[in-house]
Amino acid sequence: MTRTASEWVARPKLPATHFVDRRIYTDEGIFREEQEKIFARTWILACHESELAAPYDYRTFRHPAGQNLVLVRGDDRQVRAFFNVCPHRGNALVYEPAGNARTLTCIFHAWTFDCRGECTGIARRKEGYQSRLGPGDVGLRSVRAERGPGGFIWVNLRDDGPSLAEHLGDALAVVAPHLTEPLEVFTFQRVRLRTNYKLWHDTNSEFYHDFIHYFNRVTGMQQPGYFERKYAPFPNGHVSVGSMEVKYDRYEGGQSRIGWPGLAQGGWLLVDLFPGITFNLRTSVLRVDTAVPVGPNEVLIELRGLGLARDTAEEREARVRDHNTIWGPFGRNLHEDFLAVTGQGAALGEDPRGAGWLLHGREENATIHDEIGLRHFYAEWSRLMGRSPSSPFASLAGVAGGAEP
Amino acid sequence: MRTAVEELVYRTCLALDAHDFERYLALCSLDFRYTVKAHSPEIRRDMVWLDHDRGGMEALFRTLPRHRSDPGRLSRHATVYTVDFDAGETRANVVTGLLVFRTAPDGGATSLFAAGKVHDAVDLQDGKALLARRTVILDTRELGIGTHIPF
Repeated sequence: MTRTASEWVARPKLPATHFVDRRIYTDEGIFREEQEKIFARTWILACHESELAAPYDYRTFRHPAGQNLVLVRGDDRQVRAFFNVCPHRGNALVYEPAGNARTLTCIFHAWTFDCRGECTGIARRKEGYQSRLGPGDVGLRSVRAERGPGGFIWVNLRDDGPSLAEHLGDALAVVAPHLTEPLEVFTFQRVRLRTNYKLWHDTNSEFYHDFIHYFNRVTGMQQPGYFERKYAPFPNGHVSVGSMEVKYDRYEGGQSRIGWPGLAQGGWLLVDLFPGITFNLRTSVLRVDTAVPVGPNEVLIELRGLGLARDTAEEREARVRDHNTIWGPFGRNLHEDFLAVTGQGAALGEDPRGAGWLLHGREENATIHDEIGLRHFYAEWSRLMGRSPSSPFASLAGVAGGAEP
Repeated sequence: MRTAVEELVYRTCLALDAHDFERYLALCSLDFRYTVKAHSPEIRRDMVWLDHDRGGMEALFRTLPRHRSDPGRLSRHATVYTVDFDAGETRANVVTGLLVFRTAPDGGATSLFAAGKVHDAVDLQDGKALLARRTVILDTRELGIGTHIPF
């Protein structure tokens, strides 16, 4: 039955935790608030240690709160993070996305900094600043950086607050045993999509959308065990998904698999970390995504494909092939996911003030087509934002939208 | 002979633009191999984004109708820069500049989708040119929603 204008905006007959106001994906004010209340205050995956393997290696990262960072491996092998900005006149300190430099020299006025963020030189200091300002008075703005499971480097703009381990809790426990060997990034893709970052993370947080993926239908949904996969929620908005035996040989051209150490044949483990990071371990590849929102209807997604650092040339070639079959820019699944979320972005973003709802209401005992992953995310979103996702512009008091599903 | 080689390159573009995969494969040798590469300054590595022999390309084309693909149309604009023949003129190595444009299905706006170079090895026999090896090296790494159909 079609809906009239008033029927269209009537609240769904579901618990308030089971739908969201579509404006949480399009409102500029909510997006700016998310940057401040969520992204500027939590741990974000910036890169992998293999991207700065040697002392003095550096790697840039656009932080979702808006800051440009540079991560540097020090002479003591510790990775530190800083704002990628010279404290003198605000110029970008590093222009290349990665490199190696014993000294970071601002190209503008030749101020220099070492791998620990200390200022080591101010050009013509005595002539200009006399005794009023010296290298000890300035330095790079440091950012907390920690190494997490699998060798990923995480950053947090807050000087205080929970450690990375406290933030992650046991959320990565399902994949961590498979990430004990040194890993290596073999492919990196940054994609700019016209959609909201939450719509991307929503897609990673529900498997109901497997209907869009022919590959997943024939290798997964039509196979035993698929509908027994279960979601497990963790504190701080994270969820993980249990495994099954995916039948890759059901897809033409998908037969060649070398597997992953410790992962059962055809195994598939997935963890969604609040607010926009996904670990996806299947076939012979670990894929890790970081969503970097740049506006309410624009997101950069950084996608990494990883293998083992000890891979032979033949093993690496097999992992690259497995990755590209479903996840490369010409891959079967990634393109379909991008089609769907940009379709959402087009439908919602072109009418940013339009009223209506998106449903998160499937309940199937936390199994694979249950939308508990979405509801768990929005419970944490509500807690941090102080808003109900189903009534985002109402006072949270008295609105039953912020409770745990 | 150069004309035949250039025409082969252009015909492969037209065939893929038209989604005429049989015609595309008819322009390729039985031991055809197709690769897409790009260099990532972020991870300071060369990346392989697609790599198929002829059988892999055939499987890719066969499974396409079962997938959800971008309804936008890609238009491949090639300019053959150099054609170098071996001594016996049985093989030509070709370097082609490639720009790929995407035209949106709704409204027809066209935008640049990708830029790069194509390195082809072309087999020449009895005046006929067949594509034996194609390596696309992309400058563009931010490919938006991507594509199911190779360049």
